[in-house]
Amino acid sequence: MQHGSDNALVGDMLRRHGVSRRAFIKFCTAAASAMALQPWMGPAMAEQLRLAPRPSVVYLSFQECTGCFESFTRSFAPTIENLIFNVISLDYDDTLMAAAGDAADTALTQAMKANFGKYVLIIDGSVPTGAGGAYCTAGGKSAVETLREAAKGAAVIICVGTCSSFGGIPFADPNPTDAWPVTAIVGDKPIINVSGCPPIPEVITGTLLQYVTTGRLPDLDEHRRPKAFFGNTIHDRCYRRPFYDEGKFAKSFDDEGARNGWCLYELGCKGPTTYNACATVKWNGGTSFPIESGHGCIGCSEPGFWDKGSLYSALSTAEWEKSGNSSPRQVLELSAGAVAVGGVIGVASAGAGRLRQYRSEHPLDVEQEEG
Amino acid sequence: MSRLNDIPIRIEPPARTGGLGGGVTAILSELANLLVEVAKGGAPTSVDLRSLPMSPQDRTELQSALGTGEVRATLDADGLSSLRETSVSGIWWIEHRNREGELIAELIEVTPVPQILQSIADDMATSARELRERITAGAPRFIEGSEHATRQ
Repeated sequence: MQHGSDNALVGDMLRRHGVSRRAFIKFCTAAASAMALQPWMGPAMAEQLRLAPRPSVVYLSFQECTGCFESFTRSFAPTIENLIFNVISLDYDDTLMAAAGDAADTALTQAMKANFGKYVLIIDGSVPTGAGGAYCTAGGKSAVETLREAAKGAAVIICVGTCSSFGGIPFADPNPTDAWPVTAIVGDKPIINVSGCPPIPEVITGTLLQYVTTGRLPDLDEHRRPKAFFGNTIHDRCYRRPFYDEGKFAKSFDDEGARNGWCLYELGCKGPTTYNACATVKWNGGTSFPIESGHGCIGCSEPGFWDKGSLYSALSTAEWEKSGNSSPRQVLELSAGAVAVGGVIGVASAGAGRLRQYRSEHPLDVEQEEG
Repeated sequence: MSRLNDIPIRIEPPARTGGLGGGVTAILSELANLLVEVAKGGAPTSVDLRSLPMSPQDRTELQSALGTGEVRATLDADGLSSLRETSVSGIWWIEHRNREGELIAELIEVTPVPQILQSIADDMATSARELRERITAGAPRFIEGSEHATRQ
């Protein structure tokens, strides 16, 4: 189990804040529901969490758009306030913290030193390695350096978003900054990928809460994503699935089929090959999800989604299938292994070589895309 | 194809052959099975309504099939929660809301009485100590206080 900087248990914190047992059971029931856990786990989770130490959390942002962090702060159940005040000790986050400049750098160093080996490291954004890492530099340190240093004392790394999980948009062809996902830089730490562009807020907080509750990694899929959220495809749980089974498809975005809420498969919906919880957890506090708003899934939680062809071509067309055979996972695994035995400086040059090799073996399809 | 303006915007419900929708029948059968288990002394259990892909029609059907029973409780903890027994004894329909009144969890619990309503031994022991303190300190100043006000 992890200990926060003040070594307080979650239960102590709740008492201090006057949170009643019933309010906390309710919080955990809502969280279990949002996390798609069995509903009777809510009360059990409440009991376990009371005795769990509050972990120190360090949140670092690299080459990203802050969309993931925006998503994180809009979590509905559990709310971010509830998490920060009661369950975790958010010791460094450059977007939320009041400190700036040297004071912020000092806060980061202190948090890492005080909780060495115990803190949860959250990474948002890909890691650019081109030009010696110069594309993403803060306080004179490149993202590669900061990541490797912060990873040393982390108990676990949670990659929030498709950029830190799989490289995301910066990694997409032609990848001008030679960006890589965290798994390509850090090879010797437990890593959980919470992908999505952005990920569903409840999936981010739920993964964190699950880790704090059990002190263990959750069950992960082949892309290191928690199975609790990424175990089903969007298509498996889609409310429009009966229309797919009946062969009723919208043919354009304003035809009769679209207006009747039929399946969006032929309009390019990537639901059948995309693993995520949008169809069940939904967005904006369970209000809806893209398909419910009439747009197909774009597959944003899958590796290499941006390079897999048009978002508006049906999955049955060749583009998606072709690039689907060359899973970026393969190159990521290769790179993770290679980097684990290499040094920081090696990352930039070796990264470019690996990427070139990957590209020549698996040509991407963006050039052939009609737009 | 009809003219655009002639096409109504509606969500077509999945085809039905009459009677309850397949999803609703499945939930009701599951509840009947769980009820038998709990009646035999099995552990109380629940079904998370949010995790089931239900259309608004399914929801209405499920609600009317279960009906309304005799007990209704309101829990005021970090927002209001409503817990009501349905006309099926031992089946409780529970809605948890946050302080803003938004629905944060909705489940059906199969139990003699929902666990969250029960007071537990730990809390009762703490309360007994606090009650003694109130007696020692002189009761009148606590009479007006709410539970929260006296648990500083």
